[in-house]
Amino acid sequence: MVLFPLICAFLMPIMAYFKKEVCSYITLAITGIVFFIASYLAFVVIPGRSFVFHIGHWEAPWGIELVVDPLSALMISTITAFCFLIALFSIKTVRMEVPLDKTGWYYTAYLLLLTGMLGLMLTNDIFNMYVMVEITGICAVALVLARGTKEATEASLKYLLLAVIGSGFILFAIGFLYSVTGNLNLDYIAAELGLVKEYYPYLVWTAMGFFLVGFGIKAALFPLHLWLPDAHSSAPYASSALLSGLVVKVYIISLVRIFYQVFGPDMLTGTPMGTLILILSSMAIVGGSIFAYTQLDLKRRLAYSTVAQVGYIFLGLGLGTSWGLVAALLHVVIHAFMKVGLFMVAGTVYFQTGKKNVLYFSGLGRIMPVSMGAFTIASLSMIGIPLFGGFISKYALAQGSMEVEGYGFVALVVLSGLLNASYYLPIVWQAFFTEEKRETFHLDMVPLSMMAPLLAVTLGLVYLGVTPGRMMTMVENAASVLMFGP
Amino acid sequence: MGCLIILTQQNLIKKVIGINVMETSIFLFFLAIGNIIPGGPPIVRPGMEEVIYVNPLPQALILTGIVVSFSVTAFALAITVSLYRFYGTVYVDELMKMR
Repeated sequence: MVLFPLICAFLMPIMAYFKKEVCSYITLAITGIVFFIASYLAFVVIPGRSFVFHIGHWEAPWGIELVVDPLSALMISTITAFCFLIALFSIKTVRMEVPLDKTGWYYTAYLLLLTGMLGLMLTNDIFNMYVMVEITGICAVALVLARGTKEATEASLKYLLLAVIGSGFILFAIGFLYSVTGNLNLDYIAAELGLVKEYYPYLVWTAMGFFLVGFGIKAALFPLHLWLPDAHSSAPYASSALLSGLVVKVYIISLVRIFYQVFGPDMLTGTPMGTLILILSSMAIVGGSIFAYTQLDLKRRLAYSTVAQVGYIFLGLGLGTSWGLVAALLHVVIHAFMKVGLFMVAGTVYFQTGKKNVLYFSGLGRIMPVSMGAFTIASLSMIGIPLFGGFISKYALAQGSMEVEGYGFVALVVLSGLLNASYYLPIVWQAFFTEEKRETFHLDMVPLSMMAPLLAVTLGLVYLGVTPGRMMTMVENAASVLMFGP
Repeated sequence: MGCLIILTQQNLIKKVIGINVMETSIFLFFLAIGNIIPGGPPIVRPGMEEVIYVNPLPQALILTGIVVSFSVTAFALAITVSLYRFYGTVYVDELMKMR
C-alpha cells in the first residue's frame, strides 16, 4: 500500500510530459484510492488488534516490519483523508500559483510526500523511519519551493538547512541507540534497552535529547520553529495546508512513537526530559500566540498559530500521563482539521479577491459568506469553544494537567484560548460586522473544487465537536497501546 | 562542527559545505561504532569463513545516508543557484539587506 503512491509518483513526470492538465486529476484519483485502503485498514484495527507485515518476507529482526496498530491506523486515515481533500482543493489553486510546466513536478512531490508520510507512520524499523523522514522532508521543501518567488526560495532554503540539521541529529541519535542495542526494529530496541539501560544512563539521555532536538526542528517546537513562518507563508496554499496540518504532525507522532515504544513512558517523568518538554511547550504556546497577533499577513498569522498548537501537543506529551497522551493525539487530528480548513479559507479568499493582508478583510463576510463562515467555525474551534472540535482536545489537555496536579497548566490552557481569540476573532469581526456598502449576500464565486473540500473539512470539525465518540475510542486505543504495550 | 559552519558562515556555498561536513561526520561515527579491533573487511571468501569481520550493517546504513546527504546537497545547491539569480549575491548579510 505504501508502494502504490510511490510508483505513481514516479509515473507522474511522464504524464506531465504528454498532458499537463491531467496531472491534478490523476493525483486526485490516486489519493482517493489510498484513502480507501487506509480507511479499510483503520476499520480492521479499531477493535484494538494490530497487524504486522514483513517486507520481503524477512522476519524481524532481520527484515523491516510495517505495523498497523491503532496509532498508525489513526494517522494514516487522517493523512490520506487530508491529502485527498487537499488534492481536490489544489486543482485550481496550483494552476494559479505554480508555473504551468512545473505542475507535473509539483504533483510528483505531492505524491512522494504522501508516500513518505505513510511510510513514516507504518514503519517499525528505526532506520526505515529515518529514510522516510528524509523523503518527507525533501518533498516538503520542494512543495514550499513550488512557487518560485524570491520569498519562497529563501524560505525553502532555510527550511532545507534546518531540516538537514534536524535529520543529522536524528541520525546521530539512531547511531547511539544502535551502538547500545545492536537492533533496528523498534520493539527489539525497546527490549534491549530495557536490559542495558542501567549501564548507560547518560547515553540514553543524550539519545533522547538528540531525538527531541532533531524531531523538534522538523516539528517546529519552540525555539526551533524559526523556519516555519517563512516557509508556510510563502508556499502555495495547498502546500501550506499540507505542511501545517500534516507534515509537522507526522514528525511529532514519530517522536511519540520513539519515546513511548522505545524508551518507555517512565522515561519521560523519570528524566529531566519531561520537564524540558513542558517548559518549551509552554513557551511555544505563549510565544506563538503573541507573535501571531502581530502578523498582518494571514498566512504568517496562521503559521505562528501552528507554532502555538504544536506547543499544545508537546504539552500533552510532556505531562506523561495517559490523558496527556490522549490530548496530544486528539489535538493532532483536530488541529489538522482546523488548520487545513483555515488555510483553505485563505486560499479561497486569495482566489476571489487577491487579498492577503488581514487589514483588508473588512466586509468579506458579505461577499464570501461560506468561506468566512468556515473560518469562523475553525477559529471558534481553535479557541476551544464547546460544540467544536477544539474544545475536546483542550478539555483532555486540562484533564491531563489536573492528573499531575499542574494547575498552572490548566490556567495556561485557558489563557492561551484567550490569546488565540485575540488574533482570530478580529478577522471574523471585521469580516461580518464592519461597514461596507454591500447590502446583498452573494455566494462565493469560487469553483466547486475548492469549496467542496473546505465544506467537508468544516463539517468534519463540527461533527467531531458534537459527537467525538468514535474518534475518542480510536485515540484511546492508540494511547493505551503506546503506554501499556500491545 | 558542521552545525557551527551552517550557523555562522555567511557565504551560502559554505553553508552547504557545512551540511556535508556534518553529515559525513555522523557517518564516520557510525563506522566507528561498528568497528571491532581484530576485524577485517566483511567479505566472505570460500575457505576463510571463521575470520572475525567488522559488522557490515552500519555500512549499509551509512550508504543510505550518503545517498540522502548527496541528494540534499544537490537540492540545496540548486536552491542556492536560484537565489543567486534573484539577488545576485551569495552572502547572507547582503540578502537580509536586500529584502
